[in-house]
Amino acid sequence: MVLSGWESVFFWVFALAALVAGLLTVMARNAVHSALFLISALVSVAALFVLLGAEFIAGVQILVYVGGVMVLFLFVIMLVNVSAEERGSEELFNRPGQTAAAVCFVALLVLGLFYAINQSAGRFVPDPDAPAASRRDTDERGLRQAETRVSKISEDTQRVGASLYRFGALPFEIASVLLLVAIVGSVLLARTSKQELAHDDVDPSRIPELSAAGELTPAEIEAASRAKAFEV
Amino acid sequence: MNSLFTPALLLLQGGLFDNMRQGIEHPDLSKFLIIGALLFTIGVAGVLTRRNIIVIFMSIELILNAANLNFIAFSRYLQETGHANAVAGQVFTVFIIVVAAAEAAIGLGLVIALYRNRETIFVDKIDLLKW
Repeated sequence: MVLSGWESVFFWVFALAALVAGLLTVMARNAVHSALFLISALVSVAALFVLLGAEFIAGVQILVYVGGVMVLFLFVIMLVNVSAEERGSEELFNRPGQTAAAVCFVALLVLGLFYAINQSAGRFVPDPDAPAASRRDTDERGLRQAETRVSKISEDTQRVGASLYRFGALPFEIASVLLLVAIVGSVLLARTSKQELAHDDVDPSRIPELSAAGELTPAEIEAASRAKAFEV
Repeated sequence: MNSLFTPALLLLQGGLFDNMRQGIEHPDLSKFLIIGALLFTIGVAGVLTRRNIIVIFMSIELILNAANLNFIAFSRYLQETGHANAVAGQVFTVFIIVVAAAEAAIGLGLVIALYRNRETIFVDKIDLLKW
């Protein structure tokens, strides 16, 4: 897998854009700026996916991450609205000692990863004795041309779908259950205690009065006191 | 091939510029892995150093994206070596994106609940369990 020509130019442009945007995500003072830089980092990574021939994943990345998750992030930033950090009255990072230790750890991590990648890099170099036309090239020659005759229609999506349903059908179903659990969980977490009261709940302050009059069954009294405990 | 990242060593050997030029003009799998490693470490640095819990979540998204980049790069590499199920890496990436979306939804629900109860989203102020 060796890129050349314009592909390598685009590789360096998008790789540097992703790295710079990632760094600015971590460094930005305003959380909204962080989110916007993260969006540009995600778009750059999606462009790298296109360079790698994974058009479907690039589309999913843009739709799900940029269109879904980041909008959720921006909503929460607006809801929580911490302006102390922007005004500079709050520290951006942890205490200096913690930050220095974290940076040392990260430097060690970079060194370790670079060492590991350099060690194994020789294995990824294409074999010079191998035939020039790789399997991918022959695949691309067989592709249908688009209607405009300027590009070829990749069958990437088709292959991903086939592989997903052939080898990953059970994980696919489990992922749908996971998403359901996430929906229910986030609704449960984000609602207020006021929203938890049902319309037929008894006002806790009236429990003694009503039970003295004999209008409430013991189960109703218990339910009302539980609702009161939630409110605290 | 990887001369860009071990320049001191290769300066001694000579031929540095040829190697470097080759590495820059024809980026191979290891360049993608290095970009992924750098994105990952930027994310780890964000998680370890920032105080704002929302920015910590965003750093986690960055880490997951670095993993996705590695998966896709290896998937392309396997496609060229003619591996039988080379798009498995892309399928894994789909699942990672699903899990990241679920994680973001739950995490941001937690942030809202936390802000409602404690009026702060700074992780060093959330120390109820610390004695």
